[in-house]
Amino acid sequence: MKLLAWLGRKVGGALVVLWLVATAIFIGVRLIPGDPAEAIMGGPGSQASAEALANARSEYGLDLPIISQYFLFLAKLIRLDFGTSYSFKDPVLQIMGEVLPPTINLALLALVVAWLLALLFALLAMRANKFGRLLGNAVEIVAAAVPHFWLGAVLIMLFSSMLGWLPAVANGTPAGLVLPVLTLALPLAGFLTQLMRDSLNTAMGSQFALAARARGESRLTVFRRHGLRHAALPALGLTGWAFSSLLSGAVVVEAIFARPGLGRSLLSAVLARDIPMVTGIALFSALVYIVVMALTEAIERLIDPAGAES
Amino acid sequence: MSRTAKILSSLFILFWVLTAFAPSLIAPADPLAINPSQAFQAPSSAHIFGTDESGRDVFTRVIHGAGDSLYIGLAATALGMGLALVLGTAAALAPRWLDEVILRVLEALYSVPSLLMALLIIAFTGPGVGPAIVAVGLSTAPGYARLVRSQIRTLKNSEMLEAATVLGRGTWLKVRNHLVPNALQPLLALVTLGIGQAVIWAAALSFLGLGTPPPAPEWGAMLSAGRTYLHLAWWLSFFPGLAIVVVAAGSTLIGRALGGKVKAV
Amino acid sequence: MNPLLAVENLSVSFAGQQAVDAVSFQLAAGECLALVGESGSGKSVTARSLMGLSGGTVSATKLMVCHEDALALSEPAWQKIRGNSVVMILQDALMALDPLRPVGREIEDVLKEHSSLNKSQRTAKVREILAAVELPEPERRMKQRSTQLSGGMRQRVLIAQALIGDPQIVIADEATTALDSRLAALVLEQLAALKNEGRAVLMISHDLAQVAQLADRIAVMRAGQIVETGPTEQILNHPQHEYTRTLLRAIPSGVPRFAPLSAGTPVNEPRQLAPASTDSAPALVVENLSKSFAKHPAVVEAGFVLPRGATLGLVGESGSGKTTTARLVLGLERPDTGSVTLLGDRFAPHSEAARRGLRENIGAIYQNPLGSFDPRYSVGQILTDALSAGRSKRATGYKDQVGRLLEQVELDPVLSTRNPRELSGGQRQRLAIARALAPEPKVLVLDEPVSALDVSIQATVLDLLDRLQQETGTSYLFISHDLSVIEHMSDFVAVMHRGRIVEQGPTAQVFGDPQHEYTRILMTAMPRLR
Repeated sequence: MKLLAWLGRKVGGALVVLWLVATAIFIGVRLIPGDPAEAIMGGPGSQASAEALANARSEYGLDLPIISQYFLFLAKLIRLDFGTSYSFKDPVLQIMGEVLPPTINLALLALVVAWLLALLFALLAMRANKFGRLLGNAVEIVAAAVPHFWLGAVLIMLFSSMLGWLPAVANGTPAGLVLPVLTLALPLAGFLTQLMRDSLNTAMGSQFALAARARGESRLTVFRRHGLRHAALPALGLTGWAFSSLLSGAVVVEAIFARPGLGRSLLSAVLARDIPMVTGIALFSALVYIVVMALTEAIERLIDPAGAES
Repeated sequence: MSRTAKILSSLFILFWVLTAFAPSLIAPADPLAINPSQAFQAPSSAHIFGTDESGRDVFTRVIHGAGDSLYIGLAATALGMGLALVLGTAAALAPRWLDEVILRVLEALYSVPSLLMALLIIAFTGPGVGPAIVAVGLSTAPGYARLVRSQIRTLKNSEMLEAATVLGRGTWLKVRNHLVPNALQPLLALVTLGIGQAVIWAAALSFLGLGTPPPAPEWGAMLSAGRTYLHLAWWLSFFPGLAIVVVAAGSTLIGRALGGKVKAV
Repeated sequence: MNPLLAVENLSVSFAGQQAVDAVSFQLAAGECLALVGESGSGKSVTARSLMGLSGGTVSATKLMVCHEDALALSEPAWQKIRGNSVVMILQDALMALDPLRPVGREIEDVLKEHSSLNKSQRTAKVREILAAVELPEPERRMKQRSTQLSGGMRQRVLIAQALIGDPQIVIADEATTALDSRLAALVLEQLAALKNEGRAVLMISHDLAQVAQLADRIAVMRAGQIVETGPTEQILNHPQHEYTRTLLRAIPSGVPRFAPLSAGTPVNEPRQLAPASTDSAPALVVENLSKSFAKHPAVVEAGFVLPRGATLGLVGESGSGKTTTARLVLGLERPDTGSVTLLGDRFAPHSEAARRGLRENIGAIYQNPLGSFDPRYSVGQILTDALSAGRSKRATGYKDQVGRLLEQVELDPVLSTRNPRELSGGQRQRLAIARALAPEPKVLVLDEPVSALDVSIQATVLDLLDRLQQETGTSYLFISHDLSVIEHMSDFVAVMHRGRIVEQGPTAQVFGDPQHEYTRILMTAMPRLR
């Protein structure tokens, strides 16, 4: 029953957020100066035919009062009708089905790798001496400050141009995935490590860690049984943000490594000012964020039922 | 902050201010001067960062690019932070229902990843420097706003303000003497942390061809141009990127020294 | 018989800093030794080095733990002993249990380390031991996390965790500190049972009165050294060392009102309560006060009167509604029902604007004053701000008044340029008192003002409060969970239980002849030396 109520709250919240995003987009489109039909069809530069403009006018009800247009827009969204991308010449929903999976795969993989790296670094930092900690600190900060588009270039130079170990473009093989995933994961790992180390230090210096040692546990056992959970919790709370930053990074990474996906489609849609396509991608990425947030909250409740209540 | 840290931070900031306002002091050459006979020179004592496809000196261009890159970063942070201050403070001090409404709006804005949101805004406005500033500023605002809100919330419910109430202080005195001054320091840290991130985002937009157009020596644009020659001339991409990393890492370090939290935006 | 613990010239240092200095003692089976001292005395470090967990550099001419040479033990050998032959019960049960793990798993970890039992056997044993320490519903509770348990349950879990390994030596590190008297009594009872089973019990505490009930011998520690050691009887009745006498004198229970607790304080004439003049209204009248949070009642129909110049002690366990009462009285929460009248004027419920003019008549002191100071202000600036009604922390012309306030609370004037963070706990509380006194209030609300302080510091602060009351005639609403402090400080006492005031009256009457069932339970749980 509690679970159902929670689910209900989540779904309700998600709908409100999606509605707000859609409304913001609607207002944004209407704010573009000039003919909204032209704006939807790619702006003045697109030179859409008179027929196409007339089609857009009737499809979006642009001759109706603005409030009717708004409800028409929402009604179409509710029916999952995002319109047709004029630059891709396909229904937006169909394109989303094609470009979403590779991007989600990439982001998920990068998330896992970033987590593993962060845990490894945190563990190393715990065992390191003063110099090691200083070095670790520097590495984390630099890692978190490296822009994806530069890291990608550097990795390509190193592993592709100079060493020739890995392909510079995504060619569908697992080897082709290594560089894009690393490019996405390293900066995030820098952030997560900083976060985990703080909470790990607190946990390992706490009374309950001392109590565990007094029980006869070794330092490593204390780390495994207690430290890990406490280190993971705050980082876990940021997973929604992390995943969303990975989606941002994916735009760049897909451009660098010539990978098909959400980011690249968005980029070409933006360059072509393809509003239906852009709307679809914005709503879908918001939806992805909401789903990830709900999932992490569920995991947090498993680890820390009391904390999640408050 | 320790004394050494203060001196180092000041020097760091001074260097970049100088670079942004008077790049010719450091690199007197013309960043746009073409010299095809000198194209694709590897870094040497004559061209410490090498030359690009038109024979322009990369070091000169990186130094002259600081102005544009930092301007976009600063302007975007100012915009984002200004918006965040208004929204965050309003949410923190508003009655519960209004707080709830603002929170929902912020969550909606936050749910669209920053770069995607920036791209979305550019889809409406078209590319350019102005749109890039607006895009980066607006896309970072919701993150800041949530932090500002919680910051002011914490202060508002602090024992410090309660003690001031017990001493009979009115709202104005409490805000002037305690709330504002104590909120400023963490906000300063937040801004410092944020500038580095904004520089990265702004460069990312230029890199994607949506910010500063070439041949202006903006770091992101330079990186984008250098990408074509990645296998041929690594220095074209390496050094502009290095400049971004130095600025971003420096701002993170200073921001953290000022007491900023690990994850700012 | 061979002692289980034999310590000779134990020294522990941290980065060259000597924390424990040539400490020697012995402990045999079925015996209880108490190491008593204030914070920084090295008692906890001593206890931890007996388990190889001090974290510092340890040296000794002899250190035998359970007949093993502890100085030569390897880390794996220590791990076999810890939690098995030697166990430790830590101070704060909430902090000593991992908030993210079920308490049953925490106890089971002992078995994982020290036994070859399988999963179901371990679970059965955990259930058994929880039942043995009388934890209600062990089956359900063992699956819950420490944050979901009450304070009493957590204490039982800690004891279960210590007992499951069948230890020879039990080290209780401040195991009764900061506990309500009933819980402390429960822990003492359990420790007594352990001692009677023939285990060696080493108690670490700052509270002489509490350890006196259980310890056979007491060793008094200060600054890393044992200054005096002997049988409990002798330490309590014929203390040899000056410091032991200071500690004994600092215990407030049974000390008459206004008699000094610290040696530096001159003896005051026990003062008669000034007969209330008929024309002046009482300092504080609280009537029918109620407050609920999210339908959970915190204070229910509380009412009391604080006469002018007197102290009303409000006593109760944590969660009994004392602090909410204080906040209602201070006008920081709006009461659901009832009213607060200050010096005859209506104070709550009222709008803050209307109340502001009355605020100079009432001040507040908290348990941890640091959070109530603006972190950017120095000591002098805090007082200047208070004196100048918030006009400016830098206002000039208040220097003399600041000096007088510091003098009044016995703080060195050179401290006025310091930040409160650099002060000791006692100094901070004195600063808080000085600030509260700045507008010369008629009433002070003191919420656990000495609970975070060491006993000897507590004694000096209580003496200071006594002196100030005699000099200024300020009325105190004194809130504490500590019965002995309340008994010493109060003219009248109100006992709170679950949001209600269950009994009130003159101090001697409530303490001497408690009427309510709950008050009687509290009184029996209270440790007494005199």
